[in-house]
Amino acid sequence: MTRPISALRGAGEARLQFALYAAVCLAIFLVPLAVGDDFLLNRYARYLVLGMVAMALSLSWGYAGILNLGQALSFGLGSYCMAMALKLGTVPVHTGSDGLPDFMVWNNVETLPWFWVPFHSTAFAILAGIAVPVLVACVLGWFIFRGRVTGVFVAIITLATLVVANLLIIDRQPYTGGFNGITDLAQLSLFGFTFDAYSKSTYYLVAACLTVSLFACLALTRSKAGLILQAIRDDERRVRFFGYDVAAYKMLALAVSAAVAGLAGMLYTVVMEFASPTFLDVSLSLSIVIWCAVGGRQSLLGAMLGAILIAGMQGALSESEAFLDTWMLVMGAIFVTVVLVLPNGLAGLVSAGAHRLAAMLASRDPRRGETVHLGKPAEDRP
Amino acid sequence: MSAHLQLSDIRVSFNGFLAVNGLNLSISKGELRCLIGPNGAGKTTALDLICGKTRADSGSVRYAGRELSHMEEHLIARAGVGRKFQVPSVFRQLSVRDNLEVAMCRHTGVFATLLRPARGRGGEGLETLAEFVGLADALEEPAANLSHGQTQWLEIALLLAQDSELILLDEPTAGMTQQETVKTADICNRLKGKHTIVVVEHDMGFVREIGDVISVMHQGQLLAEGTVREVSQHEKVREVYLGSMGIGGA
Repeated sequence: MTRPISALRGAGEARLQFALYAAVCLAIFLVPLAVGDDFLLNRYARYLVLGMVAMALSLSWGYAGILNLGQALSFGLGSYCMAMALKLGTVPVHTGSDGLPDFMVWNNVETLPWFWVPFHSTAFAILAGIAVPVLVACVLGWFIFRGRVTGVFVAIITLATLVVANLLIIDRQPYTGGFNGITDLAQLSLFGFTFDAYSKSTYYLVAACLTVSLFACLALTRSKAGLILQAIRDDERRVRFFGYDVAAYKMLALAVSAAVAGLAGMLYTVVMEFASPTFLDVSLSLSIVIWCAVGGRQSLLGAMLGAILIAGMQGALSESEAFLDTWMLVMGAIFVTVVLVLPNGLAGLVSAGAHRLAAMLASRDPRRGETVHLGKPAEDRP
Repeated sequence: MSAHLQLSDIRVSFNGFLAVNGLNLSISKGELRCLIGPNGAGKTTALDLICGKTRADSGSVRYAGRELSHMEEHLIARAGVGRKFQVPSVFRQLSVRDNLEVAMCRHTGVFATLLRPARGRGGEGLETLAEFVGLADALEEPAANLSHGQTQWLEIALLLAQDSELILLDEPTAGMTQQETVKTADICNRLKGKHTIVVVEHDMGFVREIGDVISVMHQGQLLAEGTVREVSQHEKVREVYLGSMGIGGA
């Protein structure tokens, strides 16, 4: 049996884990030195964003055992918040009164709806891009977890919520751009600095956000609260009898996960230069789950790398001549193999390898190699 | 003196079956009370009622001046009630050390635990505890790898780490060897006085070892109460539970 990477808990192992995470982040920052092509950098930035969402899911699914099939909801909400701000930053081609976004003009909207008005401020948009998903997660979590809904029903409720949000956005075309989404955006500019989607600056912006959120989540999993989340995943009823408010902890996991996904969604809009209902698509949401599973849901880094790897591979395969028709088949084969052979994903493979190595080193020391006598109190031992 | 833990006129039914039918039980502070009775007498249900796992249809559970019967489980736990389950329940994917860390629950709030490292400063106390229950060598093992007996010990250690004022033990010696049973009895005797303890047990030898006052339950009600001697001579108790073996058997 492979042991989850979360079982690596000794002080030395904690340092090792930290070093591993730092090394991966450093490598991500070094990529632009090797890749000069802005088009490729844009694509890599996209993969990093997807890695961020998968990492966020690993926090709620892998650590707290909440299978959130609506992860794309937080992602999409963040993405739309950013798109609204960037849309208002453009000089509209078809100007109505007050610089109305073009799609509103086409839809005979005469004044800017009230909920669009604050998005003139980029700071507000960034705040909303995180606060809105968190708020939605908290409300949803309150009903689900106070009502003690568990297991597959959580997955069904979150999936249904995603579908409702998706339909609402498509249906309210005058305010949301409907099926076309919000396109033709300005470039994000922060502190007088403009982020061109096809440039190193945007790549670094994404890499920095990824690093910060990865380490923030790592800190959470390493806190006592993180430990309690894992205990809840194991046996939530037992946790209650120690005096912990299980619903509050689960809401925490869902909310933090939503915050990271919302941030990722905002970055996705910056990288892709549009927002679309496909960002709240069921298929994207399920892809996130698959990336997470392949990478290893009980490892933040594993889930992140899983997403980057699979999304990257998907991109490469679907464009190569040889796999033009069969790339979906190849991807499917990979998923099936991983699920059957590696229950803890690629991270589980790595951690099992590390444990085997540690065991080999330990077996050289005869005292530590001693087998533990089961079922006997200490004083009975020779 | 008024009772520390008082169950009055409790009734519970599961799908029409009356599991507890007008149970009255009063236990004073620092007492160790054994709860015995034939299968289906409602002993485990009585513990479930105290810790909030089961809700009473009617009646009240008062502990240290507070009414527990409408409180949520985690609030009851915070009020000072700890529970060991009949089927040992520990966190199987977590290491023994992490199990103990979770059980050290002086701070239970989300934000309080968010700012605390997973491995608190209780490290030394934790290792002493692990040593005490014979799990010092298995601290980094996932609990799933422990044997049944070790899992029992781990759960006892969790209770000791939780350090509740009121401790509810449901068949703590099930699956234990003779020596381990003696040790469990020793732990119970040591906790007596500082903690109030309610033990549900079938092993009469164990009960004799630890019990001051024994309550016998039958068909969801209290049948008899008294010392080991008194109870074992009780006509009705002999008839429904102890049978011809007497309390010295089992």
